[in-house]
Amino acid sequence: MRSGLRLGALVLGLLAPLVSGARAATADARFDEANDLARSGDYPKAISLYRELAASGDESASLYWNWAQAASSRGDQGEALWALLRARELDPGDRAVRRDVEAVRESLNLDPAEIAPEPLAAAARIARRFRLDVLGMALLVLSLAAHVLARLRPGSRWPVSLAWVAFSLGVLAAAAPIAGTLARPTGTVIRRGAPLLDAASPSAEPIGSLREGEVVPILEPGGSWLRIEDASGARGWAHVADVRRLDVPPDHEWPER
Amino acid sequence: MAGAAFVTGLALLPTVAGAASYSVRSEVDATRVGVEDQIQLTITMEGSEGPDTVALPALTNLRVVGGPYESTQVSIINGRMTQARSWTYALQPQAEGRAEVGTVTAGEETAPAIAIDVVAGSVRPPQPQRRRDPFGMDPFGRDPFEELLGRRREPRAEPKVLIEAAPSRRSLRVGEPLLLTYNLYTQVAVSDLNFKEAPQFAGFWTEELERPQTPPSGEAATREGEPYRRFPVLRKLLFPTRAGTLTIPAATFRIGLPARGFFDEGQVVERTTRPVTVTVEPLPAVPGFTGAVGRFQARATLDRETLPLGDAALLRLRVEGTGNLKWVDRPPPVEVAGAKVYPPQVKSDFDVTPQGIRGSRTWEFVVVPETTGTLEVPPLRFSYFDPKAEKVVAAETTPLSLRVEGGTVAAGAVAPPGAVAAGGGALPLRADLDPSVLAVPSLGGRTVAALAALVLLGHAGLWGAGLVRGAFRRVGGHTTPVRSVRAALRDIERAGRPGMTKEQAAALLDKGLHEAFGDLDDGDGSEKARAVRALLSEVHFVRYAPQLGDYSETLRDLAARAGAAVRRWA
Repeated sequence: MRSGLRLGALVLGLLAPLVSGARAATADARFDEANDLARSGDYPKAISLYRELAASGDESASLYWNWAQAASSRGDQGEALWALLRARELDPGDRAVRRDVEAVRESLNLDPAEIAPEPLAAAARIARRFRLDVLGMALLVLSLAAHVLARLRPGSRWPVSLAWVAFSLGVLAAAAPIAGTLARPTGTVIRRGAPLLDAASPSAEPIGSLREGEVVPILEPGGSWLRIEDASGARGWAHVADVRRLDVPPDHEWPER
Repeated sequence: MAGAAFVTGLALLPTVAGAASYSVRSEVDATRVGVEDQIQLTITMEGSEGPDTVALPALTNLRVVGGPYESTQVSIINGRMTQARSWTYALQPQAEGRAEVGTVTAGEETAPAIAIDVVAGSVRPPQPQRRRDPFGMDPFGRDPFEELLGRRREPRAEPKVLIEAAPSRRSLRVGEPLLLTYNLYTQVAVSDLNFKEAPQFAGFWTEELERPQTPPSGEAATREGEPYRRFPVLRKLLFPTRAGTLTIPAATFRIGLPARGFFDEGQVVERTTRPVTVTVEPLPAVPGFTGAVGRFQARATLDRETLPLGDAALLRLRVEGTGNLKWVDRPPPVEVAGAKVYPPQVKSDFDVTPQGIRGSRTWEFVVVPETTGTLEVPPLRFSYFDPKAEKVVAAETTPLSLRVEGGTVAAGAVAPPGAVAAGGGALPLRADLDPSVLAVPSLGGRTVAALAALVLLGHAGLWGAGLVRGAFRRVGGHTTPVRSVRAALRDIERAGRPGMTKEQAAALLDKGLHEAFGDLDDGDGSEKARAVRALLSEVHFVRYAPQLGDYSETLRDLAARAGAAVRRWA
């Protein structure tokens, strides 16, 4: 019995890389297929494939970059900005993405503040870019180890110094990712003139219209509707077909526009 | 003032030394007039120190129909300059009976009131509209031809001229055209005509029409039994913008009459039209109806039937007819499945006619197919209100087909607005999916916070353990502060390291032992005191003994024993 379990574990251990590799190969093939569609001008199908890949967990800055190019060529600047911002979330150090975010923002006549309503979200991106989460934790653990050593060897002064330095730097490094958790989730308006409604209902009365590309804080996510606050401070409900979240990958269930 | 019943309600007040050096007087040209006559009131102020202006006195049973006309006269008599200013008003009696021009006040000076008797009809011949000379020195006041020819010039009779605003209809719908014609009826020659004040057509869109072509002699017409010549002088096309009872306001025209002779300046009369009231019915509320009123046809065309994917087609929707199309900006919604339709450009060609605005409006949509195959442009419906049918009808276009062939993006294809790709060329796509694989997974802010809290707890636990340990040490008789013990151990540890002279090392051991145990009492015979005293004795020996050999081994042994003693008893 025990030998059977060991055999099963061994087989699984051997198969896991194979399954993972096969899945990666499939994702690459579908990515190439989507790129070919985009190059031939069939943007809807290309975007549909990009969405499938992202929803399957094969997200990357490159995928969203290509998605943004296809959406922009289709004339959907709001969707292009969303894809670029999502790419920036995944890879905050990607300079090309940052450059195109600015280009699309300017083409949409948006103020920089209109795509950055949550300053703390920038702290979270900086933390991701420089891996401040790992660095901070490593330093804090190091400070703890040095503290233990200082207790064990009371005659040695350097563990005390090391503990203090590591602790101070660790707290500083960990502050950025912790501060990022205080930022509210955000979404991007992807449809021009999308209405801001007074209730989460198709029959609700519009209380204003949203600017395409504007990034809005999400106050209350709920099903097909998001309660948001626009740049003017007006609060209301928007449909998920009009406002796409930046904090989560796309879903298979997202409604088509 | 020949022939005129020139009467002066005179009040030439004497100038008294020390009083004001100016005087004021008021005059009317008749004290008995008919209710249809006009009176000329002249207020004159002589002197140079009077106020700048003189207010109109109170009027009883009179109203101002003209003026004030201001004039200034300067004369020099016997080397002395005098100045006179006058203000002349035309007054119209309002009813038979008594009328009065009130007391005129100018600074400290006054002129008395003038009573006027108003009788029925007209009792005086019409007066030429010449302004009176306030001093009565008009060289043409007396007609030279009267003396020369033995007869007077004919006074100018009240000219038979009137203006009428004639609407083409008095009941219509919102958006329907209404032709408003201003007709001039006259029995005399007219030299000039213009608005005194252009009327405001509140509640209407207005369009100016060209002045109608009429024979120079006008058309024969009868008004109140009298023959006139009628000239349509102005036409406007009005489109009501709201329902209800709307009023076209009265308009006042200045009509110039030509001079009749060398000494006649001509005449300007004013005539006012009567306000015109029209009833405007609302349009029916129908979904998709954008407010077009009239008769229209719609036609849709594509600039090509086949195109490669990536190219753009131009869809034209042309609406033409007669009505208020000029104010219809919104085209019907255009949606083509499988293609993106961009907001249209608008082209218009209109001609304003008395029947309405005739012409066409064309919306040009750029259609960019997003997939291959045959795309269908559905029938486009342009809804309008047909006044004859009294209902909203739709002009519908025929459906169109657009075949999209596969292939790469055509060179020179219409670049979608705002493409990220620079220059609209090939898309700058990335070839590798390059999923983000991190050697160390991202911890996330909350995980970091939790782990940081654990580390802080660890630090706190260690610190607390040190406190507890110190407390136990004190209970166990260890009185030396922990900080001193650490310092002592540091010194003792350093003394055991190579690289120091035996004096330096021994001094450190001495210092460390004193830090840990202080000055020992000579009477203390405990094990600790004996051991420490023995250690100090050996340290002192090594320190002060002559350098006869290598003491490093001895110093290391002393350091080890001193450290053990400190850890045990300090």
